[in-house]
Amino acid sequence: MFSNKEKGPSGPKPDSGKPEPLSTNLGVNIKMLTAKLGESSDFVIRALRSDAMPGVEMVIAYIKGIVEEDAIHQNVINPVMGWSAPPGKSSWIETLRQRVITTGSTKQVSMQEEAVNALLDGQCLILTNGFREAIAADTSGGEQRSVAEPNTQTVIRGPQYSFTENIATNIGLLRRIVRSADFRLRSYTVGRKTRTTVGLVYMNNITDLHVVKEVEERIQAIDIDGILESNYIEEFISDQTYTPFPTMMNTERPDTAATYLLDGQMIILVDGTPFALAGPVTFFHFFRSAEDNYQRFDISTFLRLLRYGAFLVSMLLPSLFIAITTFHQEMLPTPLLISLASQREGIPFPALVEALLMELTFEVLREAGVRMPRAVGPAISIVGALVLGQSAVQAGLVSPAMVIVVSFTAISNFVTPQMSMASASRLIRFTLMLLAGMLGIFGIMAGMLFLIIHMTGLRSFGVPYMAPFAPVKRETWLDMLIRLPWWARVFRLVAVSSVNPRRQRGHRPRHQKE
Amino acid sequence: MNRIGSYQLFVMVIMFHIGSTPLFLLGSKAKQDSWIAVVIGAVAGVIVMTVFVALQQRKPDAGLIELLRLTVGRWMAVVIGLLYAVFFAYQSMRNVRDFGELTSLSLLQNSPKWIIMGIIMFIAWYTVINGNESFFRTTQLLFIVVLGSYFLLGMLVLLKGLPNVRMLRPVLEQGLMPVVRAALPDIFSFPFTQGVIFLVFWKFAANRKAIRKTAYWGYTAGALFIVLMNAMIVSVLGPLAAVSALPYLEVVQLVQVANFVERLDVVVTLLLFIGLYIKLTAFYLGAAIVLRELFHISYKWGAVIIGAAIYGTSFLERNNTVHLWIGLGISLKVSLVMQVGIPVVLLLLAAFRIRGTKQTNTPVSAAEGKAG
Repeated sequence: MFSNKEKGPSGPKPDSGKPEPLSTNLGVNIKMLTAKLGESSDFVIRALRSDAMPGVEMVIAYIKGIVEEDAIHQNVINPVMGWSAPPGKSSWIETLRQRVITTGSTKQVSMQEEAVNALLDGQCLILTNGFREAIAADTSGGEQRSVAEPNTQTVIRGPQYSFTENIATNIGLLRRIVRSADFRLRSYTVGRKTRTTVGLVYMNNITDLHVVKEVEERIQAIDIDGILESNYIEEFISDQTYTPFPTMMNTERPDTAATYLLDGQMIILVDGTPFALAGPVTFFHFFRSAEDNYQRFDISTFLRLLRYGAFLVSMLLPSLFIAITTFHQEMLPTPLLISLASQREGIPFPALVEALLMELTFEVLREAGVRMPRAVGPAISIVGALVLGQSAVQAGLVSPAMVIVVSFTAISNFVTPQMSMASASRLIRFTLMLLAGMLGIFGIMAGMLFLIIHMTGLRSFGVPYMAPFAPVKRETWLDMLIRLPWWARVFRLVAVSSVNPRRQRGHRPRHQKE
Repeated sequence: MNRIGSYQLFVMVIMFHIGSTPLFLLGSKAKQDSWIAVVIGAVAGVIVMTVFVALQQRKPDAGLIELLRLTVGRWMAVVIGLLYAVFFAYQSMRNVRDFGELTSLSLLQNSPKWIIMGIIMFIAWYTVINGNESFFRTTQLLFIVVLGSYFLLGMLVLLKGLPNVRMLRPVLEQGLMPVVRAALPDIFSFPFTQGVIFLVFWKFAANRKAIRKTAYWGYTAGALFIVLMNAMIVSVLGPLAAVSALPYLEVVQLVQVANFVERLDVVVTLLLFIGLYIKLTAFYLGAAIVLRELFHISYKWGAVIIGAAIYGTSFLERNNTVHLWIGLGISLKVSLVMQVGIPVVLLLLAAFRIRGTKQTNTPVSAAEGKAG
């Protein structure tokens, strides 16, 4: 299935050649390391000489900026300087590693490749003349953004913190929510040059282990020089590339990630990005917001149905407008038709061109809104609202009705909680508009039919994309469509497996009246 | 090819039998008694459905071609199998043409038919390429839409008080014979014995024990729908129903709610589209599967060849009048050979021929039944 060769979970493939051992000569080793790191100026080598150990030549090496220098001083340099090796014992380096150095984790390194990688991971390296083995002590650190409020997936009620760029922090955040021994973490190093840590989190006894294994294999098969964001992983491991629909979700909220875990999904955390991936998912997962769980079920149900509607609107409204005004005017009540017709009087373009122009303009505005420097923000809104909206209508280039249609479409597009699904509807919208301009309602229907067929054929890690509706899953379809009261939500949503499908025994609280 | 769930089969049986029937007034020769004619046709169809199911139960894991091989031998199986492939492709072609005619009648008067039919053929081809699983799931999703829409439209028609029971009287004005003559063989042939296609699909059933149940219940639900639809059309339109090109469309055109919801005929057209799409794709898929089982050619190429043949032949009939004349005339009679004649003969042969192999087969099928 995968053409790439199997690769161990730890360590990347060396770019070339066999692994070479370190030398016993300290000078040679230092020279080698300096050469391998290209004589970088942030590479620090400090000699450790102490009166307690006369005649022992020892250096500590690390790369500035990715280590915590305080930790190096307190846990490595100070203890080593004050310690004297028992005379005559040849394996005192092992004692040094285990007893003297007080950092959290240490390991012995005897290969050049390993040594260099340890340095690049932010560990400090202690090399001694006469010994082939070096000690790598974990002192990684450096400046990190602290845990902050989520920017893209905000809620009114609910936890107000999000993942950070540091995978260790993120795993901690998740673990603090799901305090279970069933919490499982598998780590991989992906990317030849970036050697990014990728963590696969799942719940033992809830997640289907076959799927976990499959995902593990897919992650290990990735062979690229760099992984900078979780989307790299998403595109590599998702089931199908040529589809507008995302087959994995992302979230920057630890609480949402925990919800997914309890539903039987897997979480993939990637070092360097606050966005975690989740899968397997179905189409309907994309319309669930974290807040659905934190609000009363009635309002959550209403809002969820509203989201489905808004998604349809953002996909269909411009094309329906084009189709009806161009091909099927008889569908409209006469007064409305007259009103529309009088607005369009004097508009130089056909409805399709008018709509395409306005939609593209909006997309440009939106893109400008994301990319522009914060300081020029007001300028964009003035240009957008006044010049392009009002003036275009007054100049007779577009009809007011079209402006309303495009604006409402744009607003609807923001309702979908997951950006990736909202983007899908944007792309589909343009295709449907072209179809509607050529073939009217028939074109829209053909397009939608094609989409449905396409979606029923999609899978996300083996789960049918349109489940639990096609195929029907009797236990979960209602909970997927609307938000049931918590005591009625008996089954976990992702029914990949029959492993532990219930989340609670499930009966109405006894104190409630019928 | 993947396994198909019982509920999916049930939905498919319903949707397949409803198919394009709201397009026509079935049994229009029986005038106000056409709904009785439909009932008679449906009851007669049940008997044939029993034949299909019985044939399938003889060897539950066998498709149509396998059944043919077991009953009539290898060479005759090729001949009759090929006949079935052609027959399915022909039925699919009829629906493609219906699709083109319906569109140019109702939605797009000015667009060329070859584009419309080309698009629906492309969609059907895409479905077939995606495989049976995708098709059954699509039908399942469309079922929700179709059910909801028909229910809503039916409620609107009822609430507006359009149906008039007097239009259905006098019951059996000329006695039973004209009604029976309208039902047999025409309604019997279309749509009630077209379920022969399920002989191709049933072997994909995940739970073979459920085939019988889903077939009968699905058939009953579909037939009930057709009878109700028929009665509604006649009770609203009366004698006009028989001369209308698209009677159901005319019924819905009479609905107006609050001066805003009017011209719902677009919705109806879309419903008819869905029905036609399901039917034409089912036949297309059936033909592709039969062809693959016959000759072991690549499924994808088989689908392309059949698709091209369907698309090409759909232009042969000169116009809609010829199309309907053939479709509601000679075609109905000839289809009976494939839909009733051959299956009955096969069942008789199977009673003798499959008995010999039954002893070896029974334990296997029993075990599979348990597993499913």
